[in-house]
Amino acid sequence: MTTQVDLNKVAKGLRARRRGPVRASGGYFGAMQLLADVEARFRVPRGGGRPTDPNWTERRLVPLAPRTLKRLEEIAARLRERAGTNLQPMQLAALLLERTTERINENDAEELLRQTNAGSR
Amino acid sequence: MAKTHTRKRAGAAGVLRGGRKRILVVLFVPSVERDGNTPIDQPRWVDLSLEMFGRVFGGATAYPKAKGVWRDDERGGALVKDEPVVVHCYTTPADVQDQRKLGEVGRFCRQMGREAHQGEVGLVIGDEYFAIRDFGD
Repeated sequence: MTTQVDLNKVAKGLRARRRGPVRASGGYFGAMQLLADVEARFRVPRGGGRPTDPNWTERRLVPLAPRTLKRLEEIAARLRERAGTNLQPMQLAALLLERTTERINENDAEELLRQTNAGSR
Repeated sequence: MAKTHTRKRAGAAGVLRGGRKRILVVLFVPSVERDGNTPIDQPRWVDLSLEMFGRVFGGATAYPKAKGVWRDDERGGALVKDEPVVVHCYTTPADVQDQRKLGEVGRFCRQMGREAHQGEVGLVIGDEYFAIRDFGD
């Protein structure tokens, strides 16, 4: 179950005002977040090899559209240039998938299920 | 059927026990005072913010200077242009709601706001922007 953060509690603790949600999925800030993700989480495995997130223990084959793979390759190449990391396209895909999955709370999941059910009737 | 592989790592349970560090905290360290002209000792504040995040949340990363602008509504909407350093820190949902830890982060932001003569100190936590404008202790 996803642990939700009580932002009012955070604001009270900081003695700060909530100024509203930010959308940080794109642009410079989004790219910086991805770089921070890579830097914070990727570690070289004990036995050597490419740096990766040690929590990624599951492997699946994921079907992709060619344009999606191309986009992942482009973004990963830019992040490699910028950060000097060896980020691979499917590692980037895993990061993005994880981030989106964590942001979908139970209410969103129920809403998605409701819409899917309505659409299939 | 898709071919799957599962690798077990001995340390994974230990890493997960404390909760995943999935909440991003972003602090903007300004380069100038509220007047938009007077430079502040930015490297010192960057170092102090890294030390503070290290103590409170276990680590942080400062990125090279960015370009920024802030509208000072209390000075007729004057645009303050600066080159902030963006400090990123990942933490857990539990730690980011810990009042003692938040208190320390808040105190640091107020100290920076006060001593560096800022109009506002900005923090992004998760997907929310938090503004600190009252710098009194």
